[in-house]
Amino acid sequence: MSIMSHNGGSVIAMVGKDCVAIASDLRLGNEAMGISSNFQRIFPVSDRIYLGLPGLATDVATLREKFRFRVNMYTIKEEREIKPETFAHLVSSTLYEHRFGPYFIEPVMAGISKTPTGGVKPFIAATDLIGCLNFAKDFVVAGTASDKLYGVAEGLWEPDLEPEDLFETISQTLLNAVDRDAFSGWGALVHVITKDKVITRTLKGRMD
Amino acid sequence: MENSFALVGKGYLIVAADTTAARSIVKMKSDQDKIKALSPHLLMTYSGEPGDTLQFAEFVERNIRLYQIRNLYPLRPSAAASWIRRSLAESLRSRHPYSVNLLLGGYDIASDDPHLYWIDYLGTLSEVPFAAHGYGAYFALSLLDRYHDPNATLEEGLATLKRCIDEVSKRLVVSPDKYKVKVVDKDGIRDVEL
Amino acid sequence: MASADGGAYSYSLTVFSPSGKLVQIEHALAAVAQGTTSLGIKATNGIVIATEKKSSSILIDDSVIEKVAIICPNIGIVYSGMGPDFRILVTKARKSAQAYWKIYGEYPPTRVLTQEIAGVMQQATQSGGVRPYGVSLLVAGWDNHRGPTLYQVDPSGSFWAWKASAIGKNMINAKTFLEKRYNDDISLEDAIHTALLTLKEGFEGQMTEKTIEIGVVTVPTPEELEQGNIGGETGRPKPAFRKLSEEEVRDYLAL
Repeated sequence: MSIMSHNGGSVIAMVGKDCVAIASDLRLGNEAMGISSNFQRIFPVSDRIYLGLPGLATDVATLREKFRFRVNMYTIKEEREIKPETFAHLVSSTLYEHRFGPYFIEPVMAGISKTPTGGVKPFIAATDLIGCLNFAKDFVVAGTASDKLYGVAEGLWEPDLEPEDLFETISQTLLNAVDRDAFSGWGALVHVITKDKVITRTLKGRMD
Repeated sequence: MENSFALVGKGYLIVAADTTAARSIVKMKSDQDKIKALSPHLLMTYSGEPGDTLQFAEFVERNIRLYQIRNLYPLRPSAAASWIRRSLAESLRSRHPYSVNLLLGGYDIASDDPHLYWIDYLGTLSEVPFAAHGYGAYFALSLLDRYHDPNATLEEGLATLKRCIDEVSKRLVVSPDKYKVKVVDKDGIRDVEL
Repeated sequence: MASADGGAYSYSLTVFSPSGKLVQIEHALAAVAQGTTSLGIKATNGIVIATEKKSSSILIDDSVIEKVAIICPNIGIVYSGMGPDFRILVTKARKSAQAYWKIYGEYPPTRVLTQEIAGVMQQATQSGGVRPYGVSLLVAGWDNHRGPTLYQVDPSGSFWAWKASAIGKNMINAKTFLEKRYNDDISLEDAIHTALLTLKEGFEGQMTEKTIEIGVVTVPTPEELEQGNIGGETGRPKPAFRKLSEEEVRDYLAL
């Protein structure tokens, strides 16, 4: 069994019209045995940036603490909120620090940034476990159900979805993908980030 | 093989661990207490590699005690869980990692409710309503899924625990015969005979 | 004893005098006050930093002397005081900017880089076996967050943001001159001319493109900002800071 699938779990992020969404399942397992159906693996980084950490659960907690520390230090030193693009580079360089003994996590980020003229720019990104960045324009996936997530997202996603439609699309994508994965599921959590608010909803899923 | 179970109920937490000390296929002892009282309202079961288990449990115990001496109040269960998790996570990537699995439970006197944490040797931490370690977990978790009630009285909680222990005794080939059971609530820790 | 920090018996050379002064730092400031004049002026659409570049002999090839240094595409610095100390700080500042780029994928804001340099200079006032840096710096830069900013850093490690400032020989006169000439809506072109006039006040000998150096920060246009800071195939951002060529300096002097 691979370390990456020891605890199970999946995350997906999608771009909409002036909004982004990020969602994950809630299962924590020990190989095939389920331990918890309420395991958080998506964390807020700032008001407008969320970070998903699918992979080995001990590293979920360790990296979450590490990024909280580094983002807090950044905010204090620079006297400003970190931009999603900058945060993505911070994630990448932090993971690459451990190139030859990595954290077993494939992070997924979603956020919205402001353009110099006051517009809104949706941002999503993902990296592999050593920090190779992938800036996608449509969606990014990671975790034990990533192959299924690619398939369903490829079929359901379309450009310029409004927040409520994006919520529906990402929820259906996640729920249907994790139903075909034994290591993901047991409920889901969805965040839709818009210019002036974040919509957070917990979803029920199959419990088998 | 080693087994430990724990569940939270209305205002209390029950923790149970078998009392076998085994070496290879030989039972060396059958009255080993594998539950440590870390502070007046905090309990921890430990299992895993013999030697590592007691060494790590005592390391945790002394550090929790040190915190209490320095600050004149004990760590809350959630804070203790975070500290222990970090210790295990740092140990995991050291030259000699501890191979210890824990169930940490306590009664938080600040928020007036019980908490239970499932922790493994990797440093995985999860707050749960019930938990188990060892082969007995495969039987116990299924029973707890069916019978656990967070609002049950202590008597009902102990009955649920007994179901788990009995099932493991009945179905598991390598089942231990004796268990130590402890309860923690607002009044502190006490031993219970099933 | 031969350890990097000088060992346990190596005391800091910078110690308090009974009156509460750090005399070593005051001596360092005296070294700065003997150095050639440098100045910086912040304008509405940019910043100019300028300095005298005088050589003690006509036999010196002054074409390779560099007193205005580019730290990263958005930040440049100039100094008064000891040249060798300045070059050490330039190297450290450039490394720090590249280290920042490696972590965040962008160059540091002016304030962060200034703080970094100031930290290095402060350390020299508290470490064993070293003397304070014998330079004052003017740091000019542009960033997304604060726009164009001009900082001065002193040997003690303290730093301030200025609208206009001067350091080195004649700094008192130069500052008085700047106070008279400065206003809040001065343009970059006017600021360059004011800089030249201020330098001229205390200048001995002929002011030519060979004897002064100028660096300017230009604020990117809204269109450039909208495009983002990735430019061309090299992925390097369009520089906000650049040094004026000898031809450009000659043209400004001619006006």
